[in-house]
Amino acid sequence: MIPTISSSLYFRGTYAVYVGLFFIFLITPLTVVGIFAFNDSMFPSMPWNGGTLAWFLNETEPQLGLFHDEDLLESIGVSFVVACFTTIASLVLATCNAFLFEREQFPGKNLLYILMLTPLVIPGVILGVSILAFSSTIANWAEMQFDYDLEFLRPGITLVVLGQFAFITTIATLVISARLRKFDSSLEEAAMNLGATRIAAVMTVTLPDLKPALIGAGIVCFLMSFENFNTTLMLVGSDAPLTIAMFDRLKEGSTPVLNAVSLLLMVASGVLALISVFFQSEKPGS
Amino acid sequence: MPENSNVTFDLECRQVTKSFGDFTAVDQVSFQIPTGSFFSILGPSGCGKTTLLRMLAGFQHPDKGEILIKGKSVLGTPPNRRPVNMVFQHLALFPTMSVTGNIAYGLKRRNVKREEIRTRVADVLKRVDLPDAGDKRIDQLSGGQKQRIAIARCLVLKPDVLLLDEPLGALDLKLREQMKVELKLLQETFGTTFIYITHDQSEALVMSDQVAVMNQGRFEQVGTPQELYYHPETSFVAGFVGDSNRWEGHIDAIEGERIQIKTVEGESFVGRSIVKHQLKKGDSVEVYVRPESVNIENPKNRSDLPNQCRGEVISVLFDGARSQFLIRLPQTEGEISVAMPQTGEHAQLRKGDSINIAWAADQCLCFRRSSGNHDG
Amino acid sequence: MDKSSYTRFSLWILLLPFVLWLLLLILLPHVDMVSISLRERVSARNYTFSFKNYTEFFIEPLYWRTFVRTAWMSVLATLITLLIAFPVSYYIAKMMRGRLKALLFILCLIPFWVSELVRTYGWMILLRETGLLSTFLQWIGLSDQPVEMLYNDVAIMIGLVYTSMLFMVVPLVTTLDSLDDSLIEAGYDLGGSNWNVLTEIIIPHAMPGIVSGCIVVFMLSLGNYLTPILLGGKDSLWFTEQIFTQFITRFNWEQGSAFGILLLILSSLIVWAGLKLSRQSFTNVMS
Repeated sequence: MIPTISSSLYFRGTYAVYVGLFFIFLITPLTVVGIFAFNDSMFPSMPWNGGTLAWFLNETEPQLGLFHDEDLLESIGVSFVVACFTTIASLVLATCNAFLFEREQFPGKNLLYILMLTPLVIPGVILGVSILAFSSTIANWAEMQFDYDLEFLRPGITLVVLGQFAFITTIATLVISARLRKFDSSLEEAAMNLGATRIAAVMTVTLPDLKPALIGAGIVCFLMSFENFNTTLMLVGSDAPLTIAMFDRLKEGSTPVLNAVSLLLMVASGVLALISVFFQSEKPGS
Repeated sequence: MPENSNVTFDLECRQVTKSFGDFTAVDQVSFQIPTGSFFSILGPSGCGKTTLLRMLAGFQHPDKGEILIKGKSVLGTPPNRRPVNMVFQHLALFPTMSVTGNIAYGLKRRNVKREEIRTRVADVLKRVDLPDAGDKRIDQLSGGQKQRIAIARCLVLKPDVLLLDEPLGALDLKLREQMKVELKLLQETFGTTFIYITHDQSEALVMSDQVAVMNQGRFEQVGTPQELYYHPETSFVAGFVGDSNRWEGHIDAIEGERIQIKTVEGESFVGRSIVKHQLKKGDSVEVYVRPESVNIENPKNRSDLPNQCRGEVISVLFDGARSQFLIRLPQTEGEISVAMPQTGEHAQLRKGDSINIAWAADQCLCFRRSSGNHDG
Repeated sequence: MDKSSYTRFSLWILLLPFVLWLLLLILLPHVDMVSISLRERVSARNYTFSFKNYTEFFIEPLYWRTFVRTAWMSVLATLITLLIAFPVSYYIAKMMRGRLKALLFILCLIPFWVSELVRTYGWMILLRETGLLSTFLQWIGLSDQPVEMLYNDVAIMIGLVYTSMLFMVVPLVTTLDSLDDSLIEAGYDLGGSNWNVLTEIIIPHAMPGIVSGCIVVFMLSLGNYLTPILLGGKDSLWFTEQIFTQFITRFNWEQGSAFGILLLILSSLIVWAGLKLSRQSFTNVMS
């Protein structure tokens, strides 16, 4: 079952067709979403009424185009802000974590490492509600004790960022740790041997080497945050990020403006994905 | 080793000891290295040489003992302040920086002025014969060029001592031979003290002024390459430096330095005892004879060497200048390796031929048999 | 480096943010959720300790049936994903070479750079009454009226499998890729059949990938909210929906917390069982 071992033409043919069908299965829903963004109809469904750019550019209802839909644009803005904060916070903590687990030795390290991984197996909805419950508990307590409402602990952007930060950090830690594990620590020793302090050695030698991983992890964090739904749903306040805003509209009955947003998302994600692939495959030093 | 007290030492170790748990990696090692010399530490892997080097560099701290550089203790000095630099086993050139960036790294850490950095980098690149390599990336360099950049990166800082941790290990054979010569020349032009650790005896012998043979955390012998080769003081050195035939046996008789040995297989040899060992009759000994010190006798013109054997060639191991015959001694079924003379004489010998071999008593070295441990 | 006060200091500096993150965002919220689930509201701001929220779960058939159904459908989705993904991963890892291989692998990843919402939306457009498949069936004459393929279990299953595919394909391709071709060749050389080689060489080697893929896919299905709601409609009966309803709609946090804890226990048990059965360790599988 490898190319060097002969197998029947029939087997190979069937296998290739199967893999082909799989890729059709993967691609179809996305293609359909993209195509119907250009349908000149009030519904993203058959029949095809001819192509139009109205769902992107039209300025008036009922075919209000994406670029003039204040609500959607605003929710994109919210998602963007949330994603930026989440990415930065996750990257900083994940870098610390990577150094902690790859470089330091301390009692209980294995247990803490397992705990670090647990967000991967906590369903997003539960992570969301647990943070919601805990932050409310603290906020209620503060209100009782000091008669002061800790506004940021109520559902809203801060909580959304915290909730996403909770599990995205784990993923970023795995990406950065993998790179740090491959890093030849004799480079750091060489830097110290040439007169650098430990911190200077990390700054001048280790971090530049981690740069591709940091960029890759940053892109992954940004996309995961931008696209997150389950955790966000539980923590969202009045400012809805894009996924929540789209979900609300989808429940009401969708118009092709959602296809337009989706297409935009796909293009943006695709570009980010390409950038990340580029940085991941880049050889160090080049 | 008598030392002249006027000689200045770049590096001195006194009774340096380092253990990891129950395992003693470096056991009371003391040595002194005169300024400007090429000093090698030769030993099998796991003998403690890397630990010793890392203690000199400051990456590990000795449990006991004292390390002095130019007469001053450096035990309290962190690695980044020690006046020693190190060429790492895999060179550890920074892949994210250019050649210039690598060489300037240490100077920048010392806040040397930019113009001075530029001139010193250019100067050292010229001295390692790579004047135009400054803008290259590390992965554009060949193995030998990387080697030289790694050394230049250290020498630009004018260290008192340069430590080299088997830097030739990753190179292929041809390049390694070439780099041996180059390293020696670099050391002579810069005049810096080099401490070179290796498990490859040929590297140590070719380059060094002095070689320390290390085994199980201790120095077995320190001396010039010639001393180690011709006058090994311990059986480990005799076995580790150069090729040897080895037998075990006991002493039959002693007459001054000459001793009569009976091997376990039943051969009788006449050998020389190492003074330090103070052997007595009946002692268990190890006997070493180098393949190149065994003569293949001309049947018409026999020598009067004390050790004479007749044997059968059972294999011709052709390896150019290092070719050997493997000869079986029929009485005892023992085997002995004999170097093929490079004069072309005896080149016609084939498997199955019978020959006479002989060697001098001085070439037959006897050591008290160690039970895997050290002699006192 | 020796353990000087300097390195101890750096350990604390690195440990502090991690511990804060772990305590404040992971451990304490869940501890708090347990404590909320174990109380019963007597009057405003007045609670007593009680197992009522848990007993409620077992008394009310809707709750535990939803629970069992969610677990069962998630297991099924995991198995289907594995069955579909394994041959494809094998094809990419072992049958393809060089550029084409990299291209196919990236092609597998692309759908997952897009939001789950968009992916599900795509299936809605395909499966709904006025959707593409329905139109297609009418066009080829298999049906003479629009067919509603949305809002049933098959639609949920398609959505779950589709959404989770990446998390199965990536670990499988990675582990299969690390299997040396010569091992497979040796298997055939020593007289093994296709089936022998598959069951005795390939699958044992791919086991860490299979387990990690299955765990992640199972977790994602179990904790999924979007796909069941959108593709299953009002009667999707997914347990996360119950949690959402209790928390957000009914504002009954006690009940919602109890549900959350139950779901967490279930998922931990199944993950643990999966690791035990395959003799893999959590840390190995996850990283």
